[in-house]
Amino acid sequence: MQEYVLLMVGAALVNNVILARFLGLCSFMGVTTRLDTAIGMGLATTFVITVSSMLNWGVQEYLLDPYGLGYLRTVVFILVIAAAVQFTEMTVRKVSPPLFQMLGIYLPLITTNCAVLGVALLVVEGRMDLFGATLFGFASSVGYSLVMVIFAGLRERLALAEVPRLFAGPPIGFIVASLLALAFMGFSGISAH
Amino acid sequence: MSAETDDLVLAPALVEGMARVVRRDGERVWLEPEPRSGCGTCASAGVCGAKGIGTTANRLEARRFPLHDHLGLTVGERVVVGVPENALLKATGALYAIPLAGTLGAGAVAQWAAGSDGVTLAAMIAGLALGMLAARLGAGRLGARGDLAPRLLRRAGPGETCERD
Repeated sequence: MQEYVLLMVGAALVNNVILARFLGLCSFMGVTTRLDTAIGMGLATTFVITVSSMLNWGVQEYLLDPYGLGYLRTVVFILVIAAAVQFTEMTVRKVSPPLFQMLGIYLPLITTNCAVLGVALLVVEGRMDLFGATLFGFASSVGYSLVMVIFAGLRERLALAEVPRLFAGPPIGFIVASLLALAFMGFSGISAH
Repeated sequence: MSAETDDLVLAPALVEGMARVVRRDGERVWLEPEPRSGCGTCASAGVCGAKGIGTTANRLEARRFPLHDHLGLTVGERVVVGVPENALLKATGALYAIPLAGTLGAGAVAQWAAGSDGVTLAAMIAGLALGMLAARLGAGRLGARGDLAPRLLRRAGPGETCERD
């Protein structure tokens, strides 16, 4: 039990996908101009990363490892992620057309999010069991969503602030992101204890 | 407190989005949402002309929705539509949180009871399916209350985009 709790804290905070591993930076800068889009994107990504971590673990364990096809890992994982996103999109459309109207737009953006593939590859590197792999995927994506929401909140406040013209827009965004990364470095102290 | 201030305080916050009128059907108009992206080209992303499975144009066509027209709109006009912010949060919760809870809950129970990866995988897939079913019921309830219905707010101004920055 303690092992799983540590795994989750480590994945969400200490080795945060965005601020420590620098994955998913395009969506981090691109989709965080509004809080509502950041929440939508964060939750959709959480769902897809968790499900694809589970599926990729199965593919690795039952297909790639037994047949010595490890060299195909990246290609196969991308295929599994794209299939998971397509399946989710179709299911959402079937389950609730109004929800698809509201939230479906985030799903295609996830296929090309490197954080999803990055987490799947980290799962393989970690040699985890299925439940550990799925929890790792879930915690990593919760960390991703947390940072997206914090950064979107900060950018909404920045939009109302008087920023010098030279720093307005992306430059001040990058400065704030670097300060946020420094703040998250504080969590690395947890692993020291 | 004046009535105007009351309205400001009590009115639910709306999440706004842009859409284009693609068809008129009596009192209703069919709207096609403009995709929101990080690049700020939401107005042009859906009009590249490419058609087919998986293309932006195809995805947008699939997301068309009808609304009662009280503005006298014509085909081709751009409008601003909105949904209540809390409805968006409830919708994301129903859609993603419930199936995820089902998957992880079933996986945790199976791992604790059996400790075998095969059993855990089967339990997680079953949990995901049950979660999807529960999400469908939750979404149906939200839809029946009318929480998820977008509202036609106003005509979009020239050059108005869905991005705020």
